[in-house]
Parts: sequence; C-alpha cells; structure tokens
Amino acid sequence: MNQRLTEDKSIYLQISQMIETDILRGILLEEERVPSTNELAKLYTINPATAAKGINLLVDAGILYKKRGIGMFVAAGAAEKIRSRRKQAFYEVRLSELLAEAQSLGITKEELIEQIQKEGRQK
Amino acid sequence: MSKLVCENLTKTYGDKTVLSKLNLTLESGRIYGLIGRNGAGKTTLLSIMSNQNPASAGRVTLDGENIWENRRALDRLCFSRELNISAESGLSGYSVKNYLKTAASYYAHWDQAMADRLVSLFGLTPKTKLGKLSKGMLSMVTVTVAMASKAEFTFLDEPVAGLDVVAREQFYKLLLEEYTETGRTFVVSTHIIEEAADVLEEVVILDKGRILRQQNTQELVDSARYVTGLREQVDGATEGLDCHHPEAIGRSKGVTVLLRDGEDIRPGFDVTVQPVNLQRIFVALCGEEAPV
Repeated sequence: MNQRLTEDKSIYLQISQMIETDILRGILLEEERVPSTNELAKLYTINPATAAKGINLLVDAGILYKKRGIGMFVAAGAAEKIRSRRKQAFYEVRLSELLAEAQSLGITKEELIEQIQKEGRQK
Repeated sequence: MSKLVCENLTKTYGDKTVLSKLNLTLESGRIYGLIGRNGAGKTTLLSIMSNQNPASAGRVTLDGENIWENRRALDRLCFSRELNISAESGLSGYSVKNYLKTAASYYAHWDQAMADRLVSLFGLTPKTKLGKLSKGMLSMVTVTVAMASKAEFTFLDEPVAGLDVVAREQFYKLLLEEYTETGRTFVVSTHIIEEAADVLEEVVILDKGRILRQQNTQELVDSARYVTGLREQVDGATEGLDCHHPEAIGRSKGVTVLLRDGEDIRPGFDVTVQPVNLQRIFVALCGEEAPV
C-alpha cells in the first residue's frame, strides 16, 4: 500500500494492482480486511469514487468480497487467482512485446533462447 | 439529491463580457474542480453562484429556487473568497480571531470547534492582524472559513495559492476527510492542476466565459492520447478523431486526441501513443493553437 501513484496509468487500475501486489507479497492476507475506499482516498489523496472503482474491479474478479457493514475482505484463493492471471498476462502481453522488439533488432529465436538460458544459470 | 443550476448566465462589466450564456449543473455529494486560464471568469462565476454578485442575465437555482437574496438557499452556500487586504478593503486591521467571528455570524451552520482546530493545525495566531499575514497564511484563513461554514455547497477560489507543498497536501487531505465524513459538495478552482487532478471527481473547464467541458476527471484522462510520429502517419492515425493543439517540428508532428466512446487511434500507422495528464489536456484545450 505504500507504492507511489504514477501518471502512466489510470489511478483506479493502479489502486487495484497495488492491492493485488500486496496480496501476492503477503502484506494483505486472505480473509483479512483491506483498507476502505475512504482510507485509500486519504492515503493516496485521491477521490473516494476513484478508489471505489479500483476496489470494485477486484470484487468483480472475485479477489475481494464484501462483508455487509464491515468492509472489504481478501477472498480465499485470491493469491492463486492473481498469480495465474498475471502469468497469463505475462505470456500474452510482455512476451509478445519482447518477441516484437527482438524481431525488430534482428535477434534470432536461437540467440534469444541462448540468452534466456544464460540469464537463468546466473540466477 | 440536491442540484445547483446555472441557466444562461451572462455577466458583463461595461462592454466586457465575462460570462456568456453559461449553463452548468452541479450535483450534491461531489468534489468539482473549476479550471480555466486567468480571466476565464472563474471567480465571477463562483461569486454569482453564491449571491455575492448579480448576474447581468440568467439565473442560479438551488433545488429549483432562485438563490438571489434568498436566505434559505444562501444558508446552504459558502464562497470563501481570496482575501483582499488592500487598504480600501478595510480588512487588514482585523485579527484572525475577529475575522472568523464575523464569518461565524454570517454562516448558519458554523462549526467553531472546527475553526479552532484548523487555526491550530495551520499554526495561525488568533491575535495576528490579517494585514501581517503572508499570502499562504491568508489562504489558510479562507480555507478555515470554507471548512467551518459547514455549507452544503462550498466554493473555494484558489485555496492553495501561496501554500507550500506540505500545506497543499495537508489541504487536499483535509478536503477529502471532510468530504468523506459529511458528503458536502465542494467546488475548487486552482491553477495547480496536476496536484488536484486525482482529488476531483469531476472537472469543469471554463474558457472565455463558457463551459468548454464538464466531465468525470478519470474518464477525461483515460480518453486522452498524445500521438506523435511522421506527420503523414500521425494524420492517418488520427483522421476523423477529436484532435487538439497540434505541434510540429520538421517532419514530426504531435497531437492530443480525446477519444469518444468506442473510438481508438486508427491501427496500421507507425506512431507513438502516450497517455496525457489533466494539465496537458487543459493546455491542449485552452492553450493558443500552434500554427502547423
């Protein structure tokens, strides 16, 4: 929750992604209450309607759920859900961007695979 | 839900037209931003909407009732103006405490405890004369009046003028705190647009006495793109779209596009597409058109 907002992306998307990242990192645990829209609004100095939009995105995705009169909670299995969705996005978006850049630089498939293996060995 | 409505508002000073057949509807429970260049008519609009200045033509209604000289409507409105402490205004001799006392007698729902809390939060000394305060401290006094008025519709004209960055942040947090607790409606005019952008639910852009645009801030920002590349490519990618403020250097061109519902930058052209912040959108809409 302590990341900074940037100008590159819609604020509500950033709010939902920050909450997701906190769930992945174990900062927010499953079945635990997440900050309210008003708390988020004050923390990030943003309009509560924008914060609510970010929260609702996660409710629609089944990552948060509402306990009436109490607040929003992290759903069971939320971390796994986020991980699998991000994995899919990684393959669909980042990887295709990477391949497009490689192609425009004239990097062959073999060279690319070799580089990935080399990086992997260093880690 | 309450509504404050301006219908065909016109204001002229001699042969100068400041507002021209302006229509605007403000709904309760929102934070609005009023942005416009110097002389666009922001302060005139706010003063007419709060019965401090008569319109030359047109009217302002609150839930259908004309607000002019209407005590019942005025009890629901507050316009905390920028303090003018010139010799003629006679205000410079007032102490902070006495000025707030005057304000307290004027506003029906005045919250003295809140006024006291803000005076100490801002570090104002009650006995200091207004004439001895810096521009930033005068802004703090006007913010204190606006907040403590507890008026349902509260207008703040340049509330952060002269405030340092810490105090500005403090102001926006205070505004959000009051808004989330009470649901009061705020209209905030400012020239420091980017700092305010995330706080404003809806933005009203005033240009040459007219409302140029009124839109949900996030939707407006989400709809904006800055498209750059070779001139012909940019022209192709943006053909038929709502383009503003084109800028060209040599063969390259950049243009701000506001996408309407369902539109996108046309595919198949070699251009760079970037997001645009509210401040840049404002410049694109209200800045002088660059010759291309």
